[in-house]
Amino acid sequence: MSLPSLMEEHAPILLQVTTLTKRYVGQVALADIAFTVRAGEILGLIGPNGAGKTTLLEALAGVLPADSADLLWRGAPLPPARRRDVIFYLPDGLRPYHEQPVARVLAFFAGVYRRSPAHLAGVVAAVGLAPVLAKRVQALSKGYSRRLMLAVGLLTPQPLLLMDEPFDGFDLRQTREIMGVLRRCAAAGRTLILAIHQLLDAERVCDHFVLLADGRVRRAGTLDELRTRTQLPAGSLEEVFLALT
Amino acid sequence: MHSPETSVVRHAPLRPLLVKELWDVLSGRALWTMLLLLCPLIGYSFVQAVSLYSEASAAALHAPMLARGLSPLDGVLVPSLGAWYVGTTLLFPFVAIRVLSQEKESGALRLLVQLPYRSTTLVAAKLTAVLAAWGLASLPAVSVLAIWGLLGGHVSPPETLNLLVGHLCYGLLVGAIALFAATVSDSAATAAILTLAFTIGSWVLDFTLAGRPGVLAWMAGLSLTQTLRPFEQGLLEVRLVVGIAAAIGGFAALAAVWLPPGMTIRAKLARSLGCVLVTGVLLALATQVSLARDVTEDQRNSFPAADQRALVQLTEPLVVTVHLAPEDPRYADLQREVLAKLARVLPHVTIRLAGGRHTLASSGEDEAYGEVEYAYGTRIATSRSTSPGEVLPLLYGLAQVPVPTATAADEYPGYPCVADAQAALLWFCGGLPLCIGLTWWWTRRPPRLDRSILMQEVTHADR
Repeated sequence: MSLPSLMEEHAPILLQVTTLTKRYVGQVALADIAFTVRAGEILGLIGPNGAGKTTLLEALAGVLPADSADLLWRGAPLPPARRRDVIFYLPDGLRPYHEQPVARVLAFFAGVYRRSPAHLAGVVAAVGLAPVLAKRVQALSKGYSRRLMLAVGLLTPQPLLLMDEPFDGFDLRQTREIMGVLRRCAAAGRTLILAIHQLLDAERVCDHFVLLADGRVRRAGTLDELRTRTQLPAGSLEEVFLALT
Repeated sequence: MHSPETSVVRHAPLRPLLVKELWDVLSGRALWTMLLLLCPLIGYSFVQAVSLYSEASAAALHAPMLARGLSPLDGVLVPSLGAWYVGTTLLFPFVAIRVLSQEKESGALRLLVQLPYRSTTLVAAKLTAVLAAWGLASLPAVSVLAIWGLLGGHVSPPETLNLLVGHLCYGLLVGAIALFAATVSDSAATAAILTLAFTIGSWVLDFTLAGRPGVLAWMAGLSLTQTLRPFEQGLLEVRLVVGIAAAIGGFAALAAVWLPPGMTIRAKLARSLGCVLVTGVLLALATQVSLARDVTEDQRNSFPAADQRALVQLTEPLVVTVHLAPEDPRYADLQREVLAKLARVLPHVTIRLAGGRHTLASSGEDEAYGEVEYAYGTRIATSRSTSPGEVLPLLYGLAQVPVPTATAADEYPGYPCVADAQAALLWFCGGLPLCIGLTWWWTRRPPRLDRSILMQEVTHADR
């Protein structure tokens, strides 16, 4: 077992989801979801389109009402009204305030969380947004609008950051760059849950995985644990996922 | 990159939220389009009103009796600002809806509700943005006042201010309804339909139910257009202001209930019921407040000053029993000329409609129909008149108070003004739209960037 894995094993449990269920009319979107998230790790929610990844993130963040959701934050119950105190969720494909220049959108979030100009400048530099600060959000390319959302996430101070498809819209080089940003973010003490459908990307960046299919958790653990379970000692996440679902 | 400084966040400063809301409302085309449409509408109404007022003034310049009937409030200000009322009814909902619906449609609402603000704070900030938009939309109306003053027209500050307060109340009420409609609708189009159902539905209520008795009269009273009328007549009624404030608060509270997407419909309905009940109680309490002030310079909503002073001496309860059908024009006259004025000046007045089921059709069967009975203490008098000139002496007799004599100082002189306002069209159709267009352009220019942000980028690249 690697040193980071050992350290993660001993990290305290930040969030424990014991039962989370979400039903729509005539359809169960999420059924008795249960998993744990340790402080400082990057957890990947893995699953095909329609598996319930986005629904799960929204229910965790409290922006979507769940039929039942028992969450424990550091061992204490976390009711929906208190979720935003400790969790921030970045939805997929969002172009917030599209008529405003990027700089104004960032200044808004920095102002809300009392971030210093130096902190804001650091975030802008980290995600490479400086060339488009004066541009309106609606004029941004898909990649830059993703960077904007990432910058918003980095400006928020909540210990747990949920991101839906954070690498969608990036090419290989950009994806690696953003992975580095997320890694540094986690190293600085923040915990991340990423919903990713590209398994190769997930394998590169995540410490733990929760495999979702048809609204159910099929298996959770590190890649090594999942390999052991599937008896695929050299299997990629893709092979493991196919074996488990 | 700096440390994320993770922490539990429960409070945030208001300033960034307010600044964001103001930029949001300024960035949209709806506000500026409304302003550009209002300019010629209000300008043309103003020019027409001044033209008619000048014609009447020309005849009244040498006839003081005619001049007394010339009030700039009725002749110029109310008709000019009537176009503003139309704009607020038909166009302002789109401006107010945009304050929220754009965030809903783009998904940014899911970010907004995660920020450390209560829903009530978010709605209050949006209502502030609506108020700011209304303030900008008042520019053509303010121009009317300024140009009327430049033309030599008389402006009475209390009645003008009262009229502006009326438009403000109406604008905020429409804005609050629009915000609520935006929270419960999936799209701006649906929210617009809902809001226009309120505003245009009010016109329908006015047209179809005005002058009808009983429940229909009560329903007609719910019309939004009723909110502006007393202000246009120069009355500042506390119950109306409190009632409008309660309605605005009620719609804002409902918007705050329906804003968070993470709450179940059942919970939202339960909270909405609470909001409706509290608002209903406040509205009911507001109707009990009888305090009102006639702010007109000609005191048209009051008896002559000498009578007002004399009536203050009537401290015992006065009971007025009216044998008229509510839809009878005589009842409307009596109400406007006598009963409403009595209710404002006397501390204890009770007005009853005898029988309560009189109709114009059945009026012939009742010999007492048309009589109005005045009971003051143990004394009773009856009259069929709807004129204060006959009713007031009757009351003085009942109260054994001497009939006051009118003084010349009490009389309103009137303010005739002969002016040509055609040149004002240049301002309303040229100058003001140009200023608005330039301001619009100014709001859309790229922001000045903080050098420290760019320098950090250079430093980062160097590393």
